[in-house]
Amino acid sequence: MNVLEINNIRKSFGSKVVLEDITLKVEKGEVVSIIGPSGSGKSTLLRCATFLEHIDNGEISYIGKKIVGKGAVYPSKKELQQACANFGLVFQNFNLFPHFSVLKNISDAPIVIQKRDKEEVYKETRELLKKVGIEDKENAYPCELSGGQQQRVAIARALALHPQMLYFDEPTSALDPEITAEILRVLKSLAAEKMTMVIVTHEIDFARAVSDRVVFMDGGVIIEEGKPEDVIDNPENERTKAFLKKLHV
Amino acid sequence: MDNTRIIKKVLYLFVTAIFAGFIFAGSACQAKQEFIVGFDAEFPPYGYMDENGDYTGFDLDLAEEVCKRKGWSLVKRPIKWDFKDSELDSGSISCLWNGFTMNGREGEYTWSTPYVDNSQVVITSSSSGIKGLKDLSGKIMAVQADSSALAALEGEDATDENKALAKSLKELQQVDDYNSAFMNLESGMVDAIAMDIGVASYQLSSKSDKFIMLDERLATEKYGIGFKSGNTELRDEVQLTLFEMLEDGTFEKIASKWGLQDSVCLSLEDTTYIDGSKVPVPGGDSADSGEVKQEDTGSTDNNSVIKADVPKVKKLSITQIIKQLSSGLAATVAIFVLTILFSMPLGLVIAAARMSKFKVIQWIAKIYISIMRGTPLMLQLIVVFFAPFYIFEVSTPYSYRFYAVIIGFSLNYAAYFAEIYRSGIQSIPQGQREAAQIMGYNRSQTFFRIIFPQMVKRVLPPVTNEVITLVKDTSLAFALSYAEMFTKAKQIAAAQTSLVPLFVAGVFYYIFNFIVAFIMERIEKRLDYYK
Repeated sequence: MNVLEINNIRKSFGSKVVLEDITLKVEKGEVVSIIGPSGSGKSTLLRCATFLEHIDNGEISYIGKKIVGKGAVYPSKKELQQACANFGLVFQNFNLFPHFSVLKNISDAPIVIQKRDKEEVYKETRELLKKVGIEDKENAYPCELSGGQQQRVAIARALALHPQMLYFDEPTSALDPEITAEILRVLKSLAAEKMTMVIVTHEIDFARAVSDRVVFMDGGVIIEEGKPEDVIDNPENERTKAFLKKLHV
Repeated sequence: MDNTRIIKKVLYLFVTAIFAGFIFAGSACQAKQEFIVGFDAEFPPYGYMDENGDYTGFDLDLAEEVCKRKGWSLVKRPIKWDFKDSELDSGSISCLWNGFTMNGREGEYTWSTPYVDNSQVVITSSSSGIKGLKDLSGKIMAVQADSSALAALEGEDATDENKALAKSLKELQQVDDYNSAFMNLESGMVDAIAMDIGVASYQLSSKSDKFIMLDERLATEKYGIGFKSGNTELRDEVQLTLFEMLEDGTFEKIASKWGLQDSVCLSLEDTTYIDGSKVPVPGGDSADSGEVKQEDTGSTDNNSVIKADVPKVKKLSITQIIKQLSSGLAATVAIFVLTILFSMPLGLVIAAARMSKFKVIQWIAKIYISIMRGTPLMLQLIVVFFAPFYIFEVSTPYSYRFYAVIIGFSLNYAAYFAEIYRSGIQSIPQGQREAAQIMGYNRSQTFFRIIFPQMVKRVLPPVTNEVITLVKDTSLAFALSYAEMFTKAKQIAAAQTSLVPLFVAGVFYYIFNFIVAFIMERIEKRLDYYK
């Protein structure tokens, strides 16, 4: 079953077409990386899939349930908000809540929105912190953490809501190379647990290391997709080749 | 480090403040008929603040005696002289009784018969060499705004000599009150003051070595009690009571107490009002006369009170000044606390309207903010106070003066707070809202849990600025003659003919602000646990 199903979506800002007839399906447990040059529309695709941007045309479904209907028909605000429970998003710059401690950043939404038992949520939060390797930071505030630590809090925060899948927007772009390796370990352990993930990145090595499938985008369209070793190491399309060559892969 | 603890403390403060406000506002209800005398509290010896901080003076003593005999309760209401007509028309005072010149205003009020023969005189400093009116040519003369001295010099009915005199002056400087006129004279900023002889004598009694009164008079005129045009019923009642007081000698005694025995001119023979009607014959109403007799028996009691000598200016010690100012300080604190209490949440509502998706609401908020920030606060206070009468033709009760101050201040400060909040809200990165949206927070949860707490921290420095400005702005309540600290300080300064009370008030404001700044700094430190 497809966790995510995007059909023929189109998005433009004013007269500029950013996404053109994009269709993308992600199966349960699959890890998909979206790569491509700046301005290729990969981040916009992610923002449309998470309802941060409204599409102009097409449809979006989660777990077989149509959320945005044919011709970009959006449901009510409340239904859209409920649909957000299907996924989590880890932002490029983390967007942690600076006035909340690490513990509260992670536990606030499960307690306030999902109305789960406080103690149970705290217990789970501590397990999540252990899982991402910062169990000693629960009382710290985001400003006291390094970039890598903030990234892990952001991942734990997304996981705490028990989503069906996770999106990552350039998860390593704000991090040092050695920290990137640590984040990669966290993602790999998630993949091992069969967490469905869609990762927007321009780090080819990272994409190759973590994904089951790589999608190459350019100019608002999907140019090529397939297994990482095919798309990255033996690209068929000229544009893919040109992009990869620039990156000296 | 806990937000809720701070919020609880703030809430507790607010609730306490609300109760304090109700106590202040609600202390005005009385069953007895009120006789509200409007007067300029900086006009000794007719009406001013004595060394105990009580309003007193010749006119107020007369009013007190009238009320005693009529069984009314007297309310002494200091007003800003410029607004005397609006105060009278709106019914917030019963009459103007405060060395109120009839000449030139004959048709504007319903007058009692004249009771004081007053002259307009000129005061100069003894060292100036000015000996007569002709020496005033090319000099600067001070005069109170909207006063009879001004009318005598420049009014429509001014004599040709006076008009010529006014023209020969270098400048006719209008001042707010006589105390500042004397300070101007003392410091050499003006060369002479034109004013009522009664007030002049009072001022000279404390500074006779420095100032002299010219022998020539600008004008002779009469004082009466001014009632709202057409209010003959109240006028007649007061008039007859004054006649009674004249008959039994009480009137003379009160006049002597204030050193005005040579100026008074109330006469039983003078039974025709200035509007041509007759003073009604007393005793027509049996109930009334019975009441009067009853009061008569008690009047020996009054005489003992009235035996006091002509009052001299008693110098107050700093402690006494501080004591008197503290009652004004309570009013200042009440204005401050209630304004903060109402304007801060209202600012949030206006900020929300200002950022609304609906263009109409957005524009209303924009226009509101633009007017509130673009016009003087003092004008806004005046509009709020007089609007119910002039626009809706509703008479306002006693307590409205206080409400008007709070409403005026709150509406004005809310506009400033709205813009501060807006800048704070807009400075919070969009990513915070997006993260909240994806995590399932709804709009109000996002605002109150994520945006608002961060906004508070960001807007604290500009809010502190506004709050400190508010402490000082409370003094603008004097425009509505609300007895806050600065109004009191001016009144004491007038009675004392000294600047010291104003300096003491300044020290009070400074300390107040020092405390406010300290508290705001503590709150800022409290919120410093995150960046």
